[in-house]
Amino acid sequence: MTEATDLAERAGDRDPRIGLRAVAALRRLLEQLETVQVRNARNQGWSWQEIAGELGVSRQAVHKKYGRH
Amino acid sequence: MFERFTKDARDVVKGAVEQAEGERAGTVDPGHLMLALLDREASRASFALAALGADERRESARRALADSRRRAGLSRAETDALAGLGIDVSEIVARVEEAHGIGSMSGDRKGKGWWSGRRGFGRDARDVLEGALRVAVALRDRHIGDEHILLALTSRPGVPAEILADHGVTYESVTRVLYGSGGGVKAG
Repeated sequence: MTEATDLAERAGDRDPRIGLRAVAALRRLLEQLETVQVRNARNQGWSWQEIAGELGVSRQAVHKKYGRH
Repeated sequence: MFERFTKDARDVVKGAVEQAEGERAGTVDPGHLMLALLDREASRASFALAALGADERRESARRALADSRRRAGLSRAETDALAGLGIDVSEIVARVEEAHGIGSMSGDRKGKGWWSGRRGFGRDARDVLEGALRVAVALRDRHIGDEHILLALTSRPGVPAEILADHGVTYESVTRVLYGSGGGVKAG
């Protein structure tokens, strides 16, 4: 099997269930990675504004999600 | 809803809170409910788990849950789905742990100030308890016992259901040992 067909078979899986499951899993992985990175940035003294800037979201969004209530 | 919970079911809820406290987790999740169910004795759920041989494999189930938590809480099915996209979750976890410490991808919200506050049931764990109510209704049981919490866990896609299934505990097998071959209608 060529590399191209192998890739097409995997990434472009025709079965929606497999494709959607991968997207949902990726989202959860992303959430965890974001948590780790935001925590690290806060521990290093970054402001919410700076973190939000790097993440490309509003300061309010990141503070609401991770800030203390 | 809680007034219909039996003492056994309430004990599972309490046990799950204790599990979460033991892990210093910020919220109670379905994994904590699974751990609490595995610790039950002399209840309907513990009878079902023993009948299915799962009580002797508690440690294995506990380990499987710990492994999943370390992999960002992803189930094996999810890990496989990502592998299908060329994403190696264990490789990502290894690199993040190298930089940020072991367990940093586990989402355990440890430490002061980080999501500090009351340790409550997370949305997923509440979903399981609501599922237990639906299961009890579907099985025409008047009260919600710990076996209904177990059944709700097995019927909800996620890490606990996957681990339980790996240990022979599924909605079908539990209803079989508790209700006979007729079983019951599967509740959403």
